[in-house]
Amino acid sequence: MGARRPYKRTMSRTSWFLTHARFKSYMLHEASSIFVALYMWLLIDGLFRLAKGPEAWAAWIAFIKHPLVVVISLIAFAFFIVHTMSWFKAVPQAMRIQTGEHFVDGKLIIGGHYAALGAFSLFVLILAGVA
Amino acid sequence: MARSAKAVPWFLFAAGGTITAFVLPVMLFVTNIAPPIGLFSNAMSWETMHGFVENWLVKLVLLGIIGFGVWHAAHRLRVCAHDFGLRADTVVAYVVYALAGIGTLATIWALLMI
Repeated sequence: MGARRPYKRTMSRTSWFLTHARFKSYMLHEASSIFVALYMWLLIDGLFRLAKGPEAWAAWIAFIKHPLVVVISLIAFAFFIVHTMSWFKAVPQAMRIQTGEHFVDGKLIIGGHYAALGAFSLFVLILAGVA
Repeated sequence: MARSAKAVPWFLFAAGGTITAFVLPVMLFVTNIAPPIGLFSNAMSWETMHGFVENWLVKLVLLGIIGFGVWHAAHRLRVCAHDFGLRADTVVAYVVYALAGIGTLATIWALLMI
């Protein structure tokens, strides 16, 4: 007796999520917030340049076209898809729609969300195309 | 029942999460993926974009997207900081929510100048 046996944490504080597939997918959609934050920053900057004039706006577009920014944008696009899919997946848990005695099937609610996403995306693309 | 202030960031997080889930993929495509491949060059020109954003309804929509978007990201980044091993939650919370507040005000400012 007498020997000190201090508690040693077995789980790493910084890489615990790599131990389980479910934790990995959780961290993947949580990490999407890094790219959402970066994109919001970029958009706010873009609005200021839009207000400033054509030259400032051209500089913003040039920044967007920089190869490094293009690579980050593609990674961000993938993360945004992850965010959208994980968010839609969780909707039936957050939004229960009752019709009479029964609840509407979760798959129907998710399907509705994807239909709305498709319609909205198509609308924006057409708007950008005809502008 | 004890009242909790958690409802406020949670509402902003949930609203922002829903809005960004619907809007960001296609929006990022138009603003960041299309220009390098020469797509939508007319829509992304200063004249067209300035005329588009001058519309008050468009301004309101943009404020909705960016305003809720920054609060959504802030709340998630706070959780992320904890998950990546940064446990100073109070400091992290002040920083991310302050940035979200600044982002919201900056968006309003920029939109008013257009």
